[in-house]
Order: sequence, then C-alpha cells, then structure tokens
Amino acid sequence: MTELLQTLALGLLLGGVYALAASGLTLIFGVMKVINIAHGAFVILAAFITYWVWEAFGIDPLLGIFITTPIVFALGWLTYKVVVSPIRTAPMASTVLLTFGLALVLEGAMGEIWGNNSTAIRPSYVDQSFLVGGVFLPKAQVYGGLIAIVVLGLLWLVLTKSWLGRAIRAAASNPASAELVGIKVAAVAALVFALGIAAAGAAGAITGVLYPFVPGSHYTWIARLLAIVVLGGLGSLNGAVLGAVLFGLAETFTATYWSPAWATAVPYAIVFAVLLVRPQGLMGTRLREDAVAT
Amino acid sequence: MSDTTTADAAPQTSPSRGTDPLLWVGRGIAAVAGLLLVAFPLLSDDVYYQNMIILSLVFAVGASGLNIISGFAGYISLGQGAFIGLGGYTIGVMCTKLPDSNPWVWVPLAGLVAAVVALVLGLVSLRSSGPAFVIITVAFLFLVQVIAVNWKSLTNGTNGLTLPLPDWDRDIANLPFYYVLVGILGLQLLMTWQIRRTKLGMGLIAIREDESKAATIGINLPTEKIIAFMASAVFVGMAGAVYGYYLTFIDPRGMFGILLSVQLVLSMLIGGKGTLWGPVLGAFLIEYLSETANNEWGGGNIRLFLFGGLLVAVVIFLPKGILPTIRSLVTRRRASGKAGLVGARIGTGGSLASITDRVHLVDRADIPDRAILEVKGLKRHFGGVKAVDGASFAVPEGSITGLIGPNGSGKTTIFNLIDDTIKAEDGEIWLDGQRIDGLPSWERAHRGLGRTFQTTRLFREMTVLENVVAVQRTFSVRQLGKVAVSGAEARAAEELLEFVGMRAFRDQQAHALSYGQQKLVELAQILMLDPKVILLDEPAGGINPVLIERMGEMIRELNSYGKTFLLVEHNMPFVLGLCDPVHVLARGRTMASGTPEEIQRDPAVIDAYLGDDFVLEERTS
Repeated sequence: MTELLQTLALGLLLGGVYALAASGLTLIFGVMKVINIAHGAFVILAAFITYWVWEAFGIDPLLGIFITTPIVFALGWLTYKVVVSPIRTAPMASTVLLTFGLALVLEGAMGEIWGNNSTAIRPSYVDQSFLVGGVFLPKAQVYGGLIAIVVLGLLWLVLTKSWLGRAIRAAASNPASAELVGIKVAAVAALVFALGIAAAGAAGAITGVLYPFVPGSHYTWIARLLAIVVLGGLGSLNGAVLGAVLFGLAETFTATYWSPAWATAVPYAIVFAVLLVRPQGLMGTRLREDAVAT
Repeated sequence: MSDTTTADAAPQTSPSRGTDPLLWVGRGIAAVAGLLLVAFPLLSDDVYYQNMIILSLVFAVGASGLNIISGFAGYISLGQGAFIGLGGYTIGVMCTKLPDSNPWVWVPLAGLVAAVVALVLGLVSLRSSGPAFVIITVAFLFLVQVIAVNWKSLTNGTNGLTLPLPDWDRDIANLPFYYVLVGILGLQLLMTWQIRRTKLGMGLIAIREDESKAATIGINLPTEKIIAFMASAVFVGMAGAVYGYYLTFIDPRGMFGILLSVQLVLSMLIGGKGTLWGPVLGAFLIEYLSETANNEWGGGNIRLFLFGGLLVAVVIFLPKGILPTIRSLVTRRRASGKAGLVGARIGTGGSLASITDRVHLVDRADIPDRAILEVKGLKRHFGGVKAVDGASFAVPEGSITGLIGPNGSGKTTIFNLIDDTIKAEDGEIWLDGQRIDGLPSWERAHRGLGRTFQTTRLFREMTVLENVVAVQRTFSVRQLGKVAVSGAEARAAEELLEFVGMRAFRDQQAHALSYGQQKLVELAQILMLDPKVILLDEPAGGINPVLIERMGEMIRELNSYGKTFLLVEHNMPFVLGLCDPVHVLARGRTMASGTPEEIQRDPAVIDAYLGDDFVLEERTS
C-alpha cells in the first residue's frame, strides 16, 4: 500500500514536470502549427544553464528558474525571429525538418560548451526526503513537481484570462481577422514561440535537479513530449496535461513494479495502443476540417 | 473501355516526353554513373573508397525508400534509419539463433520484418491525416533503440551481436556486399519508378498536394499511405541486413542512431524529394561529407553542426533540392522569350459522343422517376453559426437540379457534407437507394458521387493529364498497380480533356493554368470518376461569357447521357435556364423548391434572395 501511494505520488509529480514542458510544445503547435522538434533540446539547454548559474554563482537551482526561464524565453524569441519566421508559411514538413536541424545544432553547441559527459546538479537537499504517513518523498521531486504545477497554473491563467491569451487564441483561429482587429499576429507568434520555449526551460531547470543529463538527452525528451501531445490530442492544452500525467504515472509504475530499464519504453506502447483506437488522441478533435480550403 | 486502339493513339500521346533533351541528358548521366558504379571495384582496389561507396549504397536505398512516403505522399518520417537497424538486427539475431545458417538467406526476411513493422506503425499513425505520423516516427526510432538495449536475451543489449565472418575468398573481399547492394538499389529504384507511373503513385502525389480533395476523387487515403510506408521500408530492411553483415557487428548505437535517420532525410532533401535520382545523388554527397567530417574535421559535435546546419539551410534556401532546382533553371532559360502554352486558346471541344464510344444518349422515358440523391435533415453548426440547419431536398434521377440561396445560406457546406469533406452532425444522405452518410469520401466517390469545388482544387504540382488519371473509380490492389500515365487510362483521360477543350495542355502543371482552365480540368477530372451524380460548385463563377455558354452546353450534353447534376450557382440566368427543379436555401434550410418559373414567382424567394427587381429586369431585357 505504501509502495503504491509512493509510486502514485512520484508519478504525479513527474507528470507535472512533463506537463509543463509538453504544454509549451502543444501551445506552439496549437497557435502556429509548428511541431518544434527542438523543444527537447531547449529543455536540456535550460538544464545546462541552471547548472551554470548554480555552479558559477551558487544560486539554488530551483530558485535559479527565475534566471533560467527568462534567458530561455529570450533565446526562444531570437530563434523564432532568426530561423522560424522566414518559413512561417511553409508546409508543416518544412518546420519539422528545420526545428530538427536546430535541435542537432543545439546538441552540438551544448557538447562544445559543457562537454558530453554526464552532468548532475546536486543542491544540499538532493538526498533528503519528506516522510509523509510512511511514504518517502524526495525533497527535490516534491519541490520540482510543485514548482512545475505553479508555473503551469500561471501559464494557464495567462492563456485564458489575459488580453494576451485572447489575442493568442484569435491569432490561432483566424490570423487575417486577428490582424484586422489590431492584433499584430507576427509579434504574437514570436511571443507564443518564446513562451512555449520558456515553459520547456522551466521544466528543464527542474529536471536538471532531478536527473543527470548529457546533451544527447534531448532525444529522450522530444520523443517523450511528442508522444504526450499526441496522446492528449495535438494542440490541446488540457490534453497535454492529461497525457503528461498518464505518461509520468506509466513510467513510475513500470519502474517500480517491473523494471527501471523498461520504464522509458512502456508509455510508448500505451500511446500506440490509444492511437489505434482513437487516431485523434484522447482530447483531440479530428484535424481533417483544417484541410478544407474554403 | 477497350484496349484495342493502342497503336493509333500512341503517336499523339507523347508530344513532349520522349523528345525532352534534358531528360536524355539526365538519363545519359545516370547511365554513365551506373556503369562507373558497377565497374569501380574492378578498376580500383582502394578499400577506403570501396567502403564509402558501400555505405553510400545503403543510404541511397534508405533515402530512396524514404522518398516514397515523404517525397511522393508528403509524410515526413524521421525514423527511416530504424528500418536499416531492423534489417541489421534481423540478420544478427537469426545468425545468432541459427549459427549454421547462411547469413544471406536472412536478407529477404529482413525486408519482410521492416515491411510488417511499417504496417503496424502505419495502422497507428496513418489512418488520420496530419502530423501524428511524423511524431510517431520519432517515438518509434527511440522505442526500437530502447528495445534493442533492454531485450538482452534477443539482442545481447549494448554489447551487441557479432555476425559470422564472410566465408568466401579474401581476394574478392567486399565485392559480394558491394554488388548485392547495387542490386538492391536497382530494385528500389525500379519500384520507385514503377510507383510513379501507376495509379498508386498518382494517388500518393495527390495526397501530398491536397489530401481531403484526393479523398473526394476516390483515393482510399489510409490504405494508400500504409502501402506507401511499407514500400518505403521493404528494401531498406534488406539493405540494412547487408549492412549489418558487412559490419559483422551490430549494436543499438550503430544501428538505431538518430544521425542515421538525419542522414537519410538530408540525402533525400538535398538531392530532390519526389524525384527518382535525387535521393541517390544526395546519399552519395552526404556520405562523402560525413566521412570527411569524421576523418578531417574531428567528427563528434562537428557532425552535429554539419547535419543540423545543412538541414536548416536546405529547408530555408534549397527547399526543392538540387535536381529539381537544376531542372527549373534550365527550363526557365529555355522558355525565356517564348510564349507559353498557357495563353493558348482553349479548344472548342466537340461532343463527347464524337470523341469516345463510351457514352450513349439515354431515352428520357427509361429514366425511373425517383430521387438519385436525397438529403434529409442535414445539420452542421460551426460554433454558434448554424451553417446547415436541417436541410432536406431531393435530386431526381436524370435532372439538372439547382441549389440557390444568398451568400452564407449553407450551399457549399451542404456540398461538403454530401461528399464528407466536412462531417455532418446529423441527418441522412441517400445515393442511388443506399445510405452513404458515415462512409468516407472515397467510398462515396466509388458509389457514384463526383464533386467540383468553388475555388478549384487541382493538384498543383501534377500535370493536367496526371490530375485526371489520378482519379480512382473503385478500390482494388490490382487497380493501384495499373499504369496511369499511358495506356487505356491515359487515353480515357485524353478523351475527356478533348471534350472540355484542354487536351493541348495535358503536360502543363496545373498551377500554371488560369482559373477558368482549372475549372475545365476539374470537370474532366470528375468525369473520369464516371459518377452518377455530379455536384458542381459555381461552374459559371469567375469565367468569361463564352466559357459560361460552353459550360452550359457541356452540362446539357452530359445530362443527355444520363448524368444527374446538382449545381450551386449565383448566375441566375444560367441557373434558371438550365435547372429544373431548383431548391432555394436560406439560413441552412430549404425554403422553397420548384420549377424555375415557380421560384421566380415565389414572393418569399424574391424577398429573401432575388430582390424585387429581378423578374422585372428579366422581362424588360
């Protein structure tokens, strides 16, 4: 029973971190129909930046989120302006390939700067745990998961309650009309891209504390995040959160009850099974109507 | 349709293809390159280059396979390298489990394994349209690596598998690998070339150009995409097996590396996706670059910068790839100063019966008095907008029925619901006594529904002829294998093009045509379906008066062969002169039905739509 509770709690906390990163990916897709394959690379880049901030200035890595996230936000904005916006109107396949290329370049850059050996961020509390009703919860996991949920909540507030959120939704559903009512669609697009990357960055800062990483870890991340957004239904924020939580639970349960080695594989099997039954994902709508040129 | 007229039609059907000098230059270069490839190991025993060519051959098969699903059908796969790995592991595992077997016998099995895995992945991700596929391929690439690492009893984990060393004479060393790979590449290219000529290939390119339109001309989307994906894996699996045998060592990193897939994608893009030779050219170029980066620039991160940077640069600056860019440069230079065909007069056509013996006049008395198409209570809302809100009407067999109504009254949406371009929320659709709502677009097309679009939707990168032969009247695997660009299919298409007056344009790309010309081609395309009911969305919209008249003539003539029409049109004299009965639509419902005279007199219709001066104007003129 204790083991079950512990697995459940850890799965949910992990799911929160995944949800944060995945929401950035699904936001970028939902608004600009760009599948950002470089998303995982930004997660790992943020982990490295957090590591650098922690090591160079001794700032607590989880508090370091407030430094890391703005830096990654700026990088995301720059990336959009320099490489994504020139092919903004190109078919989706082009942006997939472009961001894939970008991921490789980022991986190479991280390898040059920080090396290809495993990096770990180890603050003082990394080996400590909370003991709640007989359940051991590592402090880093708890702090990380809670921060992820708070940031996710803020993101949700911005997207649903603010003027910016309305502008984003308007620009997503009909760019031409949004332009007519005074929304600068190009600026909104850059902002959304940067915001999505920043969400990945916040998640990256947290995951850097939870697990060791190398530049090549971004492949694991992007495969996982893509599977999550497909599972939830592309472009759906709620779907991404649901998918992420399911994914986190599937990983922790596999690791606890079967074998940690297979923990990364089992969730994909679930995603494949879901898509066999529901090709549009759990909360997605069928996309065929998007193709109607009228 | 008869096959007896091959001989007399042949000279006319190939006005430009055979004589294009560019094509012959290309073929010449390909032939010389092929000869050099075959002769190289006999002329030189440089092992470094032999090794590089062997790897290039593996990647050429991989890129060329990828070209079928990504170049033709337009579905990018980032997991293509995994099929090479699957092939390698097939031969590795089989040789470990059955140590006395001859490794070569497992090469075809590797192809089969790759194809079956593609089938499963296709079932997961290709039944819906859109981006799920590319995402699943990334997950797949990652998943196979995890499996190869962890399923130790089968794969020996990260320690990898060792294959038996070749048992042949050391003097011929790599030659068997070399020539077997040349053979596999030959088969791969033969398949690619054949697919490009058949109904299957036409369907795939149509899917790439406009997927939901492709469905309306009878193309079974999931089946074709899954077949294409299997075709793009089968020879790659075989090449992967030979690759594994050649390396004699197989491990997860070498076989399922991400950069392997990147290399294949990059090869296809840089050479030219959708072309026969582009991926091959690209594979040799990229493998040369990759080796150079490894040996002279330090490898590691440099390869990441190289591949990543090239991918970004190609997408932004060379999106078409080398071969298509050269082709368009040459054709532009040749065409400069000459008037194109596009401005040429549209042919006057002539009656279809004089062109082909496949149509016959029908006796009006023989047409049963019944509705061939009927919609009941059709409904579709977009958010708060009730675009179609319980529309019901019938189209009598053998009639030319009109559907009119103010802008926004739901006419085009009704068309979209009838052919399943948009899903209806509620209501029934009956075609020829069978209920068809719930069927996918292509099955509706197979049962006799043809439809044109308000804004023409031809497949832009396909020629006029290809646009017409892309149509599929029924679905069968045999039909997919039929050659489309020549023979009986092409002849039938040319007759229809002759009828609409566009035969002279058969080898033009559709995007080069004017709007009116596109309308005519789209009509020929729909006629190729041999539909029972033809839905025309504004056939007279945006074209000149002469063409409008010709359009009316053609509709009447086709009607005399028994074709039923339902048309949406704003040109009132055109509709009222042609159609009987006429249905009037307002706010998503049918508000009146009757003969043109009745409609013109109906005060409600005049109030809602025609305006009270409409009839007056008709009388005075």
